[in-house]
Amino acid sequence: MSPARRPVRRLARRLATALFKRFPSLTERWLARNPIDREDDVPWTPLARPVASCRVALVTTAGVHTAEQRPFDMEDSDGDPGWRPLPGDTPDDAWRITHESYDTGPARRDLDVVFPLRRLRELAAAGRIGGLVEVHAGLMGHVDGRHVAVLRDETAPEVARHLADQRADLVLLAPA
Amino acid sequence: MTLSLQRTVSEAVRPPRTLFVRWPFGHPFGEAGARAQQLHVLLALLDLARDATEPGLIVDAPWRWRRETYDDPLREGDAS
Repeated sequence: MSPARRPVRRLARRLATALFKRFPSLTERWLARNPIDREDDVPWTPLARPVASCRVALVTTAGVHTAEQRPFDMEDSDGDPGWRPLPGDTPDDAWRITHESYDTGPARRDLDVVFPLRRLRELAAAGRIGGLVEVHAGLMGHVDGRHVAVLRDETAPEVARHLADQRADLVLLAPA
Repeated sequence: MTLSLQRTVSEAVRPPRTLFVRWPFGHPFGEAGARAQQLHVLLALLDLARDATEPGLIVDAPWRWRRETYDDPLREGDAS
């Protein structure tokens, strides 16, 4: 797409987002017109240990990052296919959210709405899980066009390697 | 485990284990300040990790948006 058309497409995306927020049923209509490629194979790894002893990792596509990190690119109409490492010891006031495709108000008031680190810490303290990895992963859910291949072929394997390095037993992937 | 807000997408992408919540965008784990609700979602995901034996399984969460009352699943003496 030519750079000249990007502002138009961005405006269209903002308008669509506003409509989807107001009328959620439109999402299904949009999906019917824009079908997603169906995957034939389902990856499967049996759980290797009891949940109560598992190290849990969070992967969010809610646009969460830290104040020190570069925000996700909202200027590119095809989104931002990159990811940000999210250290679990980040102070509560140092989290940021950069995402224009959903109402971020509730998540800004309570990050656990999209990135439930505090709740998972409670579950660890109660013995329901073994603990948390040190560094989780953050992506921004709006990825389209030319960036889809980057997300699938570069970012996703990189995040998977990171989670393996973090010795995650369970990975929880959440949208927004 | 994958938490889903769009069942149609999950049916196409086919993650290994999916919990679908019929809630609006922006609230995958529930409402702001709703600690018990958020814990229930996480515990349902952990149950799914424990119990799923079928690749591609999608479980429909029973909760209606803003029409449920959530008890504290971690209150002392509750082993559920």
